[in-house]
Amino acid sequence: MTKPILEVKDLAKYFGGVKALDGVTLEVPERGVIGLIGPNGSGKTTLFNVVTGFYVPTRGEVWYAGERIDGLNPNEVFLKGLVRTFQIPRLFPSLTVLENVLLTPPRQVGERVLTAPFRSKWEEQEKELARKAVALLRKFGLGEYVRARVSELSAAHMKMIETIRGLITDARVYLLDEPAAGVAYTTARELFTFIRRLRDEEGLTFFIIEHRLEVLMDFVDYVYVLHNGRLLSEGKPDEVMSDPKVIEAYIGR
Amino acid sequence: MLPSFDAFGFLVSWGTFLGIYAILAVSLNLEVGLTGMANFGKVAFYGIGAYLAASLSVYAVLAVYHVAAAPYTTEGIIALGKYGGASPALDLGIFAASLVLGFIIAGCVGYLLTYPTLRVGPAFLGITLLAFGELLRIFLLNYQPLGASKGLSGIPHPFLWIPDPVLRERLYVLVVLGFLAVTLWFAERITNSPFGRVLKAVRDDEVAALCMGKHVPRVKATVLFIGSGMAGVAGVLLAFYMSSVNPNMFVPAVTFNIWAMVILGGMGNNKGAVVGAAIITFVDRILTFITPNLGITIITPDYVRWMIVGILIVLVLMFMPGGLVPEKPIKTPAWEAVESLEKESKEGGSGGDEA
Amino acid sequence: MVNMDAYQVLTAVHIALIYAVLAVPLTLSYKTTKIINFVHINFITYGAYAAVLLYTFLGIDNVFVAIAAAFVIGGAMSVIDNVTVFEPLSRRGANVVILMIASMGLWIFYKYLMYSVLDVLSRVAKANLVSVLLRFETLPRVVVNGMPITSAFLTAAITAAVLALMLYFILEKTAVGKAIRAIADNPTLAEISGIPRGRVVNVMWFMAGGMAAVGGVLWAIFAIATPEVGDTLILQVFAIAVIGGLTSLSRTALGAFIIAFAENLGMAFLNQVFGVPTSFKPFITFSTLLIVIIAFPPLGAGGGLPYRFLRKRR
Ligand SMILES: Nc1ncnc2c1ncn2[C@@H]1O[C@H](COP(=O)(O)OP(=O)(O)OP(=O)(O)O)[C@@H](O)[C@H]1O
Ligand SMILES: [Mg+2]
Repeated sequence: MTKPILEVKDLAKYFGGVKALDGVTLEVPERGVIGLIGPNGSGKTTLFNVVTGFYVPTRGEVWYAGERIDGLNPNEVFLKGLVRTFQIPRLFPSLTVLENVLLTPPRQVGERVLTAPFRSKWEEQEKELARKAVALLRKFGLGEYVRARVSELSAAHMKMIETIRGLITDARVYLLDEPAAGVAYTTARELFTFIRRLRDEEGLTFFIIEHRLEVLMDFVDYVYVLHNGRLLSEGKPDEVMSDPKVIEAYIGR
Repeated sequence: MLPSFDAFGFLVSWGTFLGIYAILAVSLNLEVGLTGMANFGKVAFYGIGAYLAASLSVYAVLAVYHVAAAPYTTEGIIALGKYGGASPALDLGIFAASLVLGFIIAGCVGYLLTYPTLRVGPAFLGITLLAFGELLRIFLLNYQPLGASKGLSGIPHPFLWIPDPVLRERLYVLVVLGFLAVTLWFAERITNSPFGRVLKAVRDDEVAALCMGKHVPRVKATVLFIGSGMAGVAGVLLAFYMSSVNPNMFVPAVTFNIWAMVILGGMGNNKGAVVGAAIITFVDRILTFITPNLGITIITPDYVRWMIVGILIVLVLMFMPGGLVPEKPIKTPAWEAVESLEKESKEGGSGGDEA
Repeated sequence: MVNMDAYQVLTAVHIALIYAVLAVPLTLSYKTTKIINFVHINFITYGAYAAVLLYTFLGIDNVFVAIAAAFVIGGAMSVIDNVTVFEPLSRRGANVVILMIASMGLWIFYKYLMYSVLDVLSRVAKANLVSVLLRFETLPRVVVNGMPITSAFLTAAITAAVLALMLYFILEKTAVGKAIRAIADNPTLAEISGIPRGRVVNVMWFMAGGMAAVGGVLWAIFAIATPEVGDTLILQVFAIAVIGGLTSLSRTALGAFIIAFAENLGMAFLNQVFGVPTSFKPFITFSTLLIVIIAFPPLGAGGGLPYRFLRKRR
């Protein structure tokens, strides 16, 4: 595998007495599609939350592209090129699909309050971004939803749009929290095909939490298994699936 | 028997109140309708503007004419009556300075107040701002240099040097409506811009907006600065119109009044805020014209007015949540780009969509 | 001088007890429903006026009758509001801000309803009902170590204790109370586990409204009853509830003592040492509120932003 783009070193996060994470070390290589699995409450979402700046870790470090990023605020982490999605999709319901995508690019001229009233200052940039957004939406078969409200979308489409929101900013790494939850089996496979396609065509990196192992395992290069805030196992999908510790953790929970 | 009704005079006084309240309503709409910040202390910023204008003008006039008396004493008030209007340049200068300072100072207070409240939820923001408003009123009620409970009077009207009071009023209403026009223009422009998009995103889900790289605290602070500044300007306009201010003009019910305008007009729509302000100020003006002619009533008409507004707001929220002029989607040039793309792809056959 | 200080402490305790009775129900209702209820102001005023009107029209000067009446009136108002306004609004998915402003509409309505009713009643009774001094002496005055303890103090102490016990008993020992806590902790989970939300929430509202109204009576017999009593107390009540994070009843009670002592003893200190006029008392309250929000941002309860002004690494 290539060099790691995201590294987590001895990461711990305690909530009072609850050790949601307790010394996790792992790395995500560039252009990898990496899985993160574990029983409920094993600390997967917490790991994402610490990496993306939601929480300050109790101990440990997070490195992204040679830079230490733990303790940064979520917006700063995003601007470095790390995009996350949520377990429950969080699009903006009063904006259309297009606007949801248009919102993301950072440092838009028209986002500054003093330039915002003067259309001519940002009109070109806005149109340019709109063309880019439409092109992206079309590329992934969502062209017809440009004007749709978020509430009119299916769960799978919402999850795709959450990812496309990152694409327009040229973000490199995507942390997806249960992208296939609540999605029909075939759609889930389509979603993961989409992810693979992004990796192959755009050279992006994915780090994916997923409970639906039957889908996940067919698409990932490497898997980490969390259990009670610690790394239980890691390896290629088939190695992990045959690891007795993993089987026990999943059955014995 | 109603006395002869001066329709034009009514329109002028309604127009002035409409202008002042519509500025307040539009600014509150920016805060709550677009950004989702529950500003329950709007009256504070309005009061800051009004008191700033009042104190600046009375102290300046007394200082310029070397009157030693304090503005809240009888001598001071007499002196203000004597010298106000003596110099057009001074009156207009004070007016202009008050407007600028009113915007900046009220805005800065709003900006500073956001620091502790940026991260906490709407409940805490609302409580803090409400408490701040009450605090300010209590301070004014007890602070002698600002006239304590009697407030300050004798604020020189900017057009006091015009001998005809009717003309004076008419000029003033034009100034007020001019400020309303600028406020509305600005609000509409920023609503229909990428900045407006960010505001709505923050309103919908501030955590997600933060995760999408938006500096949510800065956005909120900016909006509170602008919104409070606008409220400060409205306060300045009020002070010069009324020619006196006192702490009881700035009770929490005023905040509620502004909220009522925004809700009635339609949250998230700037024009709606103006419509709401127009309706409520119209009713209020009618009431002030009618009340003196009713003689002694069993129940004070003002109480009935407030009861109705209170219940009306609840009913609007329950049965017409969008208000009279519901929120519209954002209009930016992005849609023009989309339209031309759609036309192209129609002309060029089915091309475009890959999957 | 020493005696004077003891008297001040006693007054501060008296105020703290009343504040606790006023603020704890606000925290209770917020944590269960996530509504900042401005009608809380009216509960206080209506409670105080239950006592005033019972006395003026029926000559009842038994404070416990007044307290019972206030509890029923406050509780009834509270349940009516919930059934007619809050519940339908939340069912329609109204957010926190909408619920808050709806309660503000109700506050204004009730406030001026009270004024209107008083307009009529004072004409009927030919009496001043707009600022009434009630000095019920249902309980005796006692003297402890040379310190006179007023009847109002005893009433406040006993009522606060009874309400605290009642609240504890209901929340900890009864099925309804457990359901209330379950809804407060996790509404979705409570819904799934089949808790009859509507009924349980109404019980909670009844208790919250009733308690706040009782606090109004306690305040009326200690200070003065005016149609604005609730309004004048709201800054303190909100500040105290914020100290409790709007989630913890015991911390809210503690907050009542913090605010009452800061206001009274702190003010006396500032007054004597720096000559600050006592009318600036509310500044102490507000400063405490700001300090609490800055130092202990209640990010969990009201929903907060995961943003740190000062970047920190452990
Ligand atoms: N903000 C918090 N405060 C207190 N405890 C928390 C917090 N967030 C998470 N936890 C606890 O940390 C542990 C790990 O939670 P986390 O959400 O990371 O699990 P998860 O692996 O994502 O589970 P799931 O598969 O159900 O999504 C759980 O015991 C949870 O209760
Ligand atoms: Mg999770």
